[in-house]
Amino acid sequence: MTDPVAKEPILVRAEDLSVSVAGAPILEHVSLAVRPREIVVLIGPNGSGKTTLLRALLGLVPRRGTVVRRPGLRIGYVPQHFARDHALPLTVKRLIEVYAPGETGAAEAALARVGIAALAGKQVATLSGGEMARVLLARAIVHKPDLLLLDEPFAGVDLAGEAALYRLIAELRDEMGSGVLLVSHDLHVVMAQASRVICINRHICCQGAAGAVIRDPAFVELFGPRVASELALYAHDHDHRHLPTGEVAAPANGAHAHDHSHGGGHG
Amino acid sequence: MDDFLWRAILGAGLLGAAAGPLGCFVLWRRMAYLGESIAHMGLLGASLGLLIGIAPIAGVAVVAVVAGLVMARANNPFIPSGTFIGLVGHVGLALGFIVLSTMETVRADLLGYLFGDVLAMSPGDIYAVAGGGPLLLGALWFLWRPLLAVTVSRDIAVAEGRNTAIADIVFLILVAGLVALALKIVGALLIVALLLIPPAAARPLARSPEAMALMAAAIGALSAPLGIAGAYVSDAPAGPSIVLAAALLFVVATFAAGLARALERKR
Repeated sequence: MTDPVAKEPILVRAEDLSVSVAGAPILEHVSLAVRPREIVVLIGPNGSGKTTLLRALLGLVPRRGTVVRRPGLRIGYVPQHFARDHALPLTVKRLIEVYAPGETGAAEAALARVGIAALAGKQVATLSGGEMARVLLARAIVHKPDLLLLDEPFAGVDLAGEAALYRLIAELRDEMGSGVLLVSHDLHVVMAQASRVICINRHICCQGAAGAVIRDPAFVELFGPRVASELALYAHDHDHRHLPTGEVAAPANGAHAHDHSHGGGHG
Repeated sequence: MDDFLWRAILGAGLLGAAAGPLGCFVLWRRMAYLGESIAHMGLLGASLGLLIGIAPIAGVAVVAVVAGLVMARANNPFIPSGTFIGLVGHVGLALGFIVLSTMETVRADLLGYLFGDVLAMSPGDIYAVAGGGPLLLGALWFLWRPLLAVTVSRDIAVAEGRNTAIADIVFLILVAGLVALALKIVGALLIVALLLIPPAAARPLARSPEAMALMAAAIGALSAPLGIAGAYVSDAPAGPSIVLAAALLFVVATFAAGLARALERKR
């Protein structure tokens, strides 16, 4: 690869990461790395372990394998769920400052950058879903993180707003030089901004540039030919298939060539 | 007025002032059940203290801290943590009752342990509250920001590298300390009322966590003279009267806040 990003130091690297809950495997042998200035998008069906992978990287769930962070790495995290509690009186500005002490004006600047300066004095518990999504993004960027980890960050936002927010993430990446690891369901919108797509279903099924991944048989297997052809108008044979349990069946046809790699120790 | 009345007002007022801000976190973190079980365990601690001949307040503090730490770590896949917490608390209540009933001399004071005996506060009890109350508040002030960070979102706090374990453990110790101070004043069955009612009364009046904590402290402190005055004129037991006074302030605050909102809408 001649990609200039490949020369940058790695922000976070996971090697052979596995997670089990009550003995049931959720993630198996996942390895990945995120570098500055790249937007890596994790896609996969419901229950495929995308959120768990992010949480394992952050140390929020017990994990096996190694996670190495660049020393002093500043992380900005947008969780999938954020409980708005009516019992806790909290303005938007204060919510941001709880996690970014001592920087006067930083909260206002972050809110303005996301286009919601007017929300600063509003109570968090009264925000709409779309407002909350933007507030959480502003909160995550307030301390100019080296790595942004976003878990379905714009689930409550309408489609037009969503596209604008994903463009904003690309701009923020340029401004702050951050790496971005993003979980999303909205393939159409995300694909436009992704430098790299990792397709996951308990293990890494395929990964590479967005244009290449949507042609991957593993992608077609996961999302169905309709989604794949909508995205690419292109599909071809599979190299492996998933049994209903999510396990990989014996390869049916392993002979194909792409400009991307297959992970997970099969293919 | 007699000395014992002033002692009661001072002791219960200081306790209420300390319970208010601590109780805000009990409310925000939905730990009412845990607080109640810690209080029930406190009864066992007091009776064990009497049995082995140390100050009951020391027995309460030790047993309440241990029980709090055990219950906070409840992590059984088959039993919801609330159920386990309730189980532990009621075992403490039952055992404490049994141990107390074996001691002929204290059997008469049983009601005092359950519902408080604020009018029997000795100068030593006052010193304990006068020293312990400000100590609890000082520790809470010192821990304010990390506690607020983990309360607003544990995931964000952990993900962005905050040490949440220390804040969690110290908070439990503070709740246990409050239980130890409060057992003599409102009794094992009513301690949680002091932790919950003043913050609930303060909530509709506040727009920031700090304002809510200060108002809860004021309401908690005010409940003591109100309740003791009520007990004085009606000859009712003082501990339950303090709790009823706090509840009265809750009703007043709720109506006042509703009225203020209605007037604001009209303007």
